[in-house]
Amino acid sequence: MRSILPLMLVALASSAQAAWEWSEALTVNSAQGAKIFPHIESANRQGIAVSGGAVGVVWEDNRNGSPQCYLAIKPAAAKAFQPEIRLSQTECYEPVVVALGAGRFVAAWEEAGKVHARGVPGNAALKLTEAESAQATLAVGAGKLYAAWAEQAGQFRRIVVASLTEKRGVLNINHAQPVETAAPIDEQGWPALAIAGDGSVTVAWEDRRNHHTVPMVSQSLDGRSFASPARLIEIRSGSADGLGAGIGAMRPTLSAWGKQGVAAAWLDKRDFLSGYDVYAALDTGTRRFGSNLKVQDSFGDNMVQWHAKIVSDASGRLLAVWDDARDGTPDVWLAEWKGEAFGDDVAVPAASGTGEQADPVAVLDESGGLHLAWLERDEKNGTRIRYVRGTSR
Amino acid sequence: MLEFSRMKISRQIVLPKENWMNVIKYLMMACCLWASAVLADPPPNYPFVNFDAGLKAARASGKPIFLYFGRYGCAWCDHTNKKTFSDESLKTLYSDHYELVYVDAESGRRVTLPSGERITEAELGVRLQAFATPLFVYMTPQGEKIMQIPGFKTVQDFRDYDRYVHGGHYKQKTLLEFLGGKS
Repeated sequence: MRSILPLMLVALASSAQAAWEWSEALTVNSAQGAKIFPHIESANRQGIAVSGGAVGVVWEDNRNGSPQCYLAIKPAAAKAFQPEIRLSQTECYEPVVVALGAGRFVAAWEEAGKVHARGVPGNAALKLTEAESAQATLAVGAGKLYAAWAEQAGQFRRIVVASLTEKRGVLNINHAQPVETAAPIDEQGWPALAIAGDGSVTVAWEDRRNHHTVPMVSQSLDGRSFASPARLIEIRSGSADGLGAGIGAMRPTLSAWGKQGVAAAWLDKRDFLSGYDVYAALDTGTRRFGSNLKVQDSFGDNMVQWHAKIVSDASGRLLAVWDDARDGTPDVWLAEWKGEAFGDDVAVPAASGTGEQADPVAVLDESGGLHLAWLERDEKNGTRIRYVRGTSR
Repeated sequence: MLEFSRMKISRQIVLPKENWMNVIKYLMMACCLWASAVLADPPPNYPFVNFDAGLKAARASGKPIFLYFGRYGCAWCDHTNKKTFSDESLKTLYSDHYELVYVDAESGRRVTLPSGERITEAELGVRLQAFATPLFVYMTPQGEKIMQIPGFKTVQDFRDYDRYVHGGHYKQKTLLEFLGGKS
């Protein structure tokens, strides 16, 4: 029986992988080297977008001696990414990008302690904040464009949501307001945004008001007036035998799902002996998130998962991507929603195997194709940002 | 809440004498709030600094680094702080022998690795493959990892680790070999 088991596992893994067809992997960043460190981490892991068939990927690297943000675009018919354009002038961190359609993009980032945004193609960047702010994110949907960020408000940061408009590459800010009017009593950060099919706005973020990190969520029908925050995790705050304050859960991500729904995923340490797991919750359009769902399968249970991102589209397709090292080195994994639970984990072939493949960002295009970018770390030759498109059969 | 309490305190100070009891009450309230706000953070009264400051100090002093990788609200960190790091002699030993660095496992605060790469504190956990907190990492003054120890440990454990690291035994022996040799 023991000798059959590995064969069965290989067969199962092969059948899971056979459900996907992948394009040839491309390298996105043109500057690589042992001392150049690209990063694609951002609030809501919003580092890739598809606009009229053109793919845009944003990141930050230090090729010029200081961290700068870049955007590379692969036009719809092109076989490779064009040389990247630099978005920032001074120290820049955690850029994000969304698609406006017809090959147009909007990017946002933190630069010199403020949040900036810019249309591409377009003119000069617009500074969205005057106060110290960071961890910007963007979302589009139902013909609307929103931004969110973490802004200094006294001792702590709080989450601010802004409505933006874009016309011929020129951005304007309509209104911006904090999700809660009261001053924050502890740190808030890493906002995620989703615009549902009915135009309502959902914002999630990390919140420490309960003396541990809890992903919180709030929703607004008009993008101005937000409901009182609710917890995304079902585990209550509180000490264990008088110790600590609760489990750790961090980096929430959101995505508009189906006609009116919103999906969320985050890293969750309720099983504290195996590190973070990927958990998800779904709002089917009721503006209430349902039960917490474990995303990764039992083969990943004893491993720590990192860099989770939820991805979905208007047709109801839903999946999560992340990385873990269950096969010895970090690989990129995905699991697709099967209606009642997430299916088996699938390793992305170009983002798995020997070496270190991690930090995925992903988006679904209008035809259901999955666009995925990740970091392929190589201490000697430098880190590459890699890209692949997958279609499921 | 803390800011709010401070505002109240400053207002009360200009009031007549009979309101000094209120001042004390508000001060006590603020102290309680502060205490809860730092729950499961580094143990009190230890000279913990952030990663970049600790690395800089270690390069200058030549002392190894003791990195406490904790999580806000972590019960086992709280337990370790109360049961182990409350020991005065351990505080003296570690304050003397190490540059003490505290890293928040879920923070977006930026740190610069010895390689020159800038990452967040949370990303440092990814690089360390940290599956549990607390995690204790001993590093050379140049920031190279000597060893990492997860979970609750006793005062005696930390004394043993100190003998291993501060005595330079890590250059010749594994920790297991060293501890085996002890008994």
